[in-house]
Amino acid sequence: MKHDLFIVRHRKWFIALPVVMAVLMLLPLMKAHINPDLMDYLPEDMVSKVNLDRLEAVFGKYDPVLVLFSGEDVLRAGTLERMRLLNQTFRQSDKIDQVISLFELKNIRSEAGSMVVDPVVQSIPNTVSGREILRQSVRTNPLVYKLLVSKDFKHCLMLLNPAPKVPDKELVLFIRHVLKQYPGPEQVLVSGQPTLRYEIQRIAMRDLMILMPLGLIIMLLTLFLSFREQKGVLLPFSVVCMSIAVAMGLMPLLGFDFSLIAVLVPVLMIAIANNYGVHLITRYQELNAVHPRWGMKRIVNESVRKLYTPIILTALTTIVGVLGLLSHLLIPPRQMGIVTAAGILFALLTSLTFIPAVMSGVPKGQTSIHFGEKPTGWMGHFLAWTGRVSTGKPWMVILVFTLLVAGAGAGLSKLQVAINLEEMMPASSDLRQTMGLLNDHFGGTKSISVLFTGDIKSPRVLKEIDSFEKRAAQLPEVSNVTSLATVIHTISRSMNNPGMPGYDRIPEERQAIAQYLELYTMGGDPEDLERLVDFDYTNSVATVQFKAENFSSFKQTESGIRTIAATLPSCRLIAGQSLVEETLSAAIIKGQISSLLFALGSIIFLLWLIFRSFKAGLIGAIPLAVSLVANFGLMGWIGLRLDIATSLLSSIAIGLGVDYTIHLFWRINHELQHGKDWEDAIAYTLRSTGRGIAVNAFSVMAGFAVLLFSGLTILKAFGYLIIFSLLLCLLCALVLIPAILQLNRPSFLLKSTKAQL
Amino acid sequence: MKRLYSITSIGITGFCKIHRSLLCLKIRRNTWLAGILLLLAGLSQAHAQQAKDIARRSYDVISLESMEMKATLSIYDSKNHVRTRNISNVTKTFDGVIKTKLTCLAPPDVAGTTMLIFDYPDKDDDMWIYLPSLRSTRRIVSREKKSSFMGSEFSHADMSKPNLDDYTYSLLGSKDIDGKDCWMVEAVCKSGAVTEANGFNRKLAYIDKKSGLAYRMDYYKADHVWTKTMILKDYRKVSGESNFACYMEMQNR
Repeated sequence: MKHDLFIVRHRKWFIALPVVMAVLMLLPLMKAHINPDLMDYLPEDMVSKVNLDRLEAVFGKYDPVLVLFSGEDVLRAGTLERMRLLNQTFRQSDKIDQVISLFELKNIRSEAGSMVVDPVVQSIPNTVSGREILRQSVRTNPLVYKLLVSKDFKHCLMLLNPAPKVPDKELVLFIRHVLKQYPGPEQVLVSGQPTLRYEIQRIAMRDLMILMPLGLIIMLLTLFLSFREQKGVLLPFSVVCMSIAVAMGLMPLLGFDFSLIAVLVPVLMIAIANNYGVHLITRYQELNAVHPRWGMKRIVNESVRKLYTPIILTALTTIVGVLGLLSHLLIPPRQMGIVTAAGILFALLTSLTFIPAVMSGVPKGQTSIHFGEKPTGWMGHFLAWTGRVSTGKPWMVILVFTLLVAGAGAGLSKLQVAINLEEMMPASSDLRQTMGLLNDHFGGTKSISVLFTGDIKSPRVLKEIDSFEKRAAQLPEVSNVTSLATVIHTISRSMNNPGMPGYDRIPEERQAIAQYLELYTMGGDPEDLERLVDFDYTNSVATVQFKAENFSSFKQTESGIRTIAATLPSCRLIAGQSLVEETLSAAIIKGQISSLLFALGSIIFLLWLIFRSFKAGLIGAIPLAVSLVANFGLMGWIGLRLDIATSLLSSIAIGLGVDYTIHLFWRINHELQHGKDWEDAIAYTLRSTGRGIAVNAFSVMAGFAVLLFSGLTILKAFGYLIIFSLLLCLLCALVLIPAILQLNRPSFLLKSTKAQL
Repeated sequence: MKRLYSITSIGITGFCKIHRSLLCLKIRRNTWLAGILLLLAGLSQAHAQQAKDIARRSYDVISLESMEMKATLSIYDSKNHVRTRNISNVTKTFDGVIKTKLTCLAPPDVAGTTMLIFDYPDKDDDMWIYLPSLRSTRRIVSREKKSSFMGSEFSHADMSKPNLDDYTYSLLGSKDIDGKDCWMVEAVCKSGAVTEANGFNRKLAYIDKKSGLAYRMDYYKADHVWTKTMILKDYRKVSGESNFACYMEMQNR
């Protein structure tokens, strides 16, 4: 037919091309690789990362695995014997460079006029008195007490520094295998950065294998329940599958590593990519019900002509919302924004070409919906109710929503940012448990290192380090400060008797300091010094260990350290893993705000462009603002923290939520243009387009629901929150916005738009 | 990587057995040529005994009653920075007790620092240290033989006399080391306690077939994990028949 769409006339091409493209995009996935290293997520020029790199250039990378033993008393003979055997086995392995444990660290002390240098545990005591002697010895060793052994002697750490280039997986599995070889009654937890990276990679891979198929099954079910027709299920499903292939394949093609939030990309595609096809199917079923004599080609032509504008506009707004992620400081959200936007674009094009091309060649189905005056089914009744409430009691609706937003929004003041990377793991994981125990029994999991440069053996520099150690130890929440000064004090106590001038002091002469250090290399273990001072004694590091419950507590301690360091001329830089995590947290806040402002601003601008009215932008932004305020307020109330995953919320929620309002405006405008009054236009819109909006929203929510099965806590939380956001956007679109339109009757909806429904 | 760079000069008086971690070679004449029936167990036992005899010979070929020497100890890190110590070493045996005095001669900030060590055959060593800055002497009690010698990759175990009976020996074949045809003698610690004390589980010595002098030793942790290698060169005859390696280098991973 000459009035057939171009797509219908050349349907074979529009069916074959997307399929071929999707298949080709699967090929780059062969060389895809998950990168769990959170340090790689940060930009290279980030100050805290640069400083950490400088510190590691001098002292090497310090990335140990922590093995934490917990029992009634870690000095029990059986426990010590178990630790000794493990210590021996780990020392003998080529995967581990250094073991730090009670059997390796030295106890340097003065005893009967002699300097005694022994391992902390020289021999395992079998008697109670022997055990108490050991306990007292540990208490007086500042390099062990509260650092390696907890204050109550119920917990003991063993640190295993890996050999260079040993993969995390190999290392962690080896350690767990060795632990199994030496069982005991003590609880043993394995944590540390290598373990965190391994677990992230393992869980992310598992999520990818499980969540994607699960999401597809849920989507199929939702589509079936909504449309009860083969083409209504298979066509949007096909578009989703092809969009996933394109978005995921684009990542290795553009040289992007799969980060832990790459798990979200297929879930986003499942949630978003069927949006456009759903509206076409809804329209097809509506026309099939209202005009049963129309042929399939006519229905397809009509559907596409009427819907292509709002579909393109909704896709555009979603793309703009998602591109808000480009303003994020972190690399993976930016990459996710690019590939998701590309996937949505592909889904849009395919929905407007592939679906009509296929539909035009297949027979019509039986009508499964009835479009009479009386509502049918639960959805019909619900939509009829929304029409009655929004047009009959608009002020009540606005009041209820205002109270809801005010109540939820009060939680905003309680919203905090996550500062521990381990919080992304489940509460039962070794990593989370270890974090809790270290905070409770070992003085905290946070550490900041301060680098001093100069002639480290000179009394002036060493006294500065000593002064820093003493002053930093006074800061609240600081549990431990370790530096070369600690070692010099220890040696001076063992070389001088109490009461002598040199006892427990930094010597006044450079020669004395040099000879103390020489003594340590002769009698102790020079490896102990390697983490405190470099080979030629020109750089030395002091490490501050502390607790930080939240972001502001962390900033307080950091500020105290910086203030002290600023008074010491030899101090060159302040660095540490904790500072990088703090920058990550700050980036999450900034990224959240910037992406939110970008997305919201862009949406308001787009709505203004589409409807030629600033009021359209403002009214259209109301559901988004309501859902975001309520969402973040809820997070504050229930104690959920902003993290790398939840910081993506605003861009995605904005991009998705605005679609419902656009469809609503478009249909109301059409009904008003055709002579209906406001009340009838709103009611009819809700019964017709409202169904499509609801199906759309529920299928998106169903798509995100798979995240509730993720092994990563942050992705689970993201799942709950995005569903909550979309539910609010839906309620706003179906109840609040119609109420506002009923009261306000904005003139932009009375104007004619280019395309007509 | 850290290395002991060179021993620059030696002054020696008298003869005595010197305590070093060098394996000594003893020539054993083959007496089993006439044997016809070779049992595998008997063959390996013979090899083990031969290996031990080679080790004993290497042990015995260095025999100095007393010694006085000046040495330069150079320690290198992975970036090739070097820390140098000039030391003087005086050693003599008194009634079975080997007494050693080690004095740092340079650099100036540690010059005069002195260690006095009494090495007993049947009990832990006694050690004293003198620090010129304190003008006092302090006794040091340290039972850790595997700990580092003066911050280098040499351990105290490397520098003291091993007990041949602490190891099980095997002969692994021959290899050319710097133009010398050497036996490859494996020594495996007999117990965990010996391993712990020495810091290694297994040692592979390359011993010259002619002279019985060891030119190289590879040290391993369990599961054949290599940890370090000692290279010995520049053997010189001192005090008549005894030999002494004037260059020792230890390389770690």
